[in-house]
Amino acid sequence: MPRCASLGTVLPRVAGPGLLLVLVLFGVSGPAAAQEHVEYERPVDVAPTEDTIGEGYVTPEVQRPRPRAAAWQIADVVLLAAALGVAAWLAIWRRQRGWLVALTTACLLYFGFYREGCVCPIGSTQNVAVALVDHTYAVPHYVIALFVLPLVAALFFGRVFCAGVCPLGAIQELMVLKPVEVPRRLDKALGWLKWIYLGTALYYAVLPAIERDFVICRFDPFVGLFRFTGAAWLLMVGGAFLVVGIFVGRPYCRWLCPYGALLSAFSRYAWRPFSITPSRELDCGLCQSACPYGAIEERRAVRTSCFACGRCYRSCPVHHAETPESVVPAAELAGRPPEAAP
Amino acid sequence: MKYQPAHTIGGRGSAPDQFARALRGVALDGAGRLYAVGDSAVKVFDADDALARQWPTDRPGECVAVDRSGRVWVGEREQVEIFDSQGGLTDTWRDPGQLGLVTAIGFAGSDVFLADATARWVRRYDQGGRLLNNIGDRHRKGGFHIPNGVVDFAVDDEGILHVANPGMHRVERYSPDGTLLGRFGRFDGRDPEGFPGCCNPTNLTVDDQGRVIVSEKAGPRVKVYDPEGQLLEVVADDVFDPTAKNMDLVVDSRGRIFVADTATLEIRVFEPTGSEATA
Amino acid sequence: MSKTHTRREVLGHAARGTALAGLGGLTGLLWLKANATFAWSINAQRCINSRLGAVGVDVCERCSTECVLALSAVRAVNEFKSCGRCYVCPAYFKITSAVGPDGLPTEKVCPRDAIKREAIGWIDPDDPANNFYDYTIDETLCNGCGRCVLECKEPAGLGSIRLEVRHDTCLDCNRCAIAQACPEDAFDRPEPA
Repeated sequence: MPRCASLGTVLPRVAGPGLLLVLVLFGVSGPAAAQEHVEYERPVDVAPTEDTIGEGYVTPEVQRPRPRAAAWQIADVVLLAAALGVAAWLAIWRRQRGWLVALTTACLLYFGFYREGCVCPIGSTQNVAVALVDHTYAVPHYVIALFVLPLVAALFFGRVFCAGVCPLGAIQELMVLKPVEVPRRLDKALGWLKWIYLGTALYYAVLPAIERDFVICRFDPFVGLFRFTGAAWLLMVGGAFLVVGIFVGRPYCRWLCPYGALLSAFSRYAWRPFSITPSRELDCGLCQSACPYGAIEERRAVRTSCFACGRCYRSCPVHHAETPESVVPAAELAGRPPEAAP
Repeated sequence: MKYQPAHTIGGRGSAPDQFARALRGVALDGAGRLYAVGDSAVKVFDADDALARQWPTDRPGECVAVDRSGRVWVGEREQVEIFDSQGGLTDTWRDPGQLGLVTAIGFAGSDVFLADATARWVRRYDQGGRLLNNIGDRHRKGGFHIPNGVVDFAVDDEGILHVANPGMHRVERYSPDGTLLGRFGRFDGRDPEGFPGCCNPTNLTVDDQGRVIVSEKAGPRVKVYDPEGQLLEVVADDVFDPTAKNMDLVVDSRGRIFVADTATLEIRVFEPTGSEATA
Repeated sequence: MSKTHTRREVLGHAARGTALAGLGGLTGLLWLKANATFAWSINAQRCINSRLGAVGVDVCERCSTECVLALSAVRAVNEFKSCGRCYVCPAYFKITSAVGPDGLPTEKVCPRDAIKREAIGWIDPDDPANNFYDYTIDETLCNGCGRCVLECKEPAGLGSIRLEVRHDTCLDCNRCAIAQACPEDAFDRPEPA
């Protein structure tokens, strides 16, 4: 039927903005129904006063610890921005892995184990989505900053957030010990999962408040490890991700991370992305086997999937030649996993 | 003596014989007319429960009483308004700095007693409005313990005051000069003989035989005690709205009990049944 | 670097500019309605344990059972300023339990015995009913089950006990498991007052 055919071609183009428009309208027109409350009047202030109780009685203070101070939230944003900058500098200008590992460890300790995970840029995607469709829902400035900063960084330097800042990435990054190569087609196919996950998460986030759920946070496999507490099955899933991650580099980041989907889209247009260039690196292809993420194709880093971990530089004979004491013949290097290199 | 719920008067609504927001106090006059306050108005119901007349009060009425000469006294915040039987304002009593929220009014001889829920004791005035003495102010807790927010009392035919002290689960008897004559009551959450919860009874009245009829809150219940403090009857324990508290009540010469349900804004009437009622 | 730009470079600049403008617009839009903080709190007017009028309901214990912490970040807080200091506190005693020889109920409400009862002020040596009592909740024992909150509610009590979020222990989960499970939608991150 011709009508169906034309609809079929038009629908994908209008579905995205159309859906957004519908959601915005929903948010504006659906204020929460006010609940009816029974009101009581208390005729007199019936609680005994200090004078009535007598004998020098002093009403005890009720301890109410304040929520985390705004200064700490600003500190988080400043640290995030600084870490993004340092990661970009280390990955793109210094072209060094060692300091990147130090940075990623530091961020894992701070954002992961000290701040215990929340709120993170990955999860903030949902807050931003809700804020866009629900006029009663507002997110704090620092959450907006957490969401936007890594994306801006991706527009300039690629996925430097994944390289050295994200604690979820960091905990997996440090587990990559014996990476095996995932068949390229399988890798590409699994890569679509993160878009499905992102779509699902956005769908559940923009539901009316009573049905709303943040599935990214709900099924975050690593936050329980940061906190040493959480649902047993999720802790086991997190552990399983880490065990699998010994052999398959950063499975969550590559195939599931919904924010990674956004970052890969933004890093496609990066101004100065992580690169392997003939002028600074040896155009030999050693790096391709050193990359545990399948992010080097035809001796060049793929912007959308490169985590800027720097293993390629470590495997590059040119970079080793720069430090005389660690000159290793290229042929010898090729046979070793990158971590084994000094 | 058993009681059965007979009928209700008023209710929540905007009709003239209904209450929109509050029903706080009930009283009877010598002719058997029922007076109710709430919503900043006095409503008078005649013997067949029809609204006879109503008139507004200056402030929301907390309690109402009718003296022997038929004058209608309405207790309010920091003042008492005195109306003639037709609703004409004859006097307003104020005692700045002294009189707080007036939650009960009683008469004995030439004395007027006002329950002051702010001070948490009962004040005794003469007919001219001069304070004679306070009752309950020598209490170690500084007054009656009223976490429920009202002081209620009743004066029996001999001029003895029966005051509810809910925080101590007691009914206390005082002479007009403030001497504690006796008390009864104890806490018990199971045995209806005792008073349950944090603070009961909240309100009480005395009939012409000296029986004390009390109302309780959470859950709302009405009981009758003999003059010695022995439980005679549980009048009702499941007919009131469970959120009702401080239910004022009054008993007429035929033994009928009128209870103000402060949640549904109905006046529930309970009639005695059995041999004693006709005796 | 060459001063001539390839078609690919121009397209890249255009895409980057568009994306930056989009992010900027999004940020501006959200910034205008942004609030200051982001902390979970309990709306006492919604919580079934403290909501007025909800009488005769069963206690809701989800604050104690759903939190990701072993000991929930929710606690019961007694606002002393509005506590009636009753002799028989319905949030402390199980007021329907049998009365002991001391005239008081024999059972307590708190399953963890987290509430301390203490006579205050001038103490009558002969009549314990003649005293005021402070009811202090031990924060290290309370798990926020809400039983005392329900029992303290009007009209049984004065409603001085409420469930509150302990901000020093709350992990500020972006998806709060309690909020998700709360049947009354009382667990929320409202704008600060």
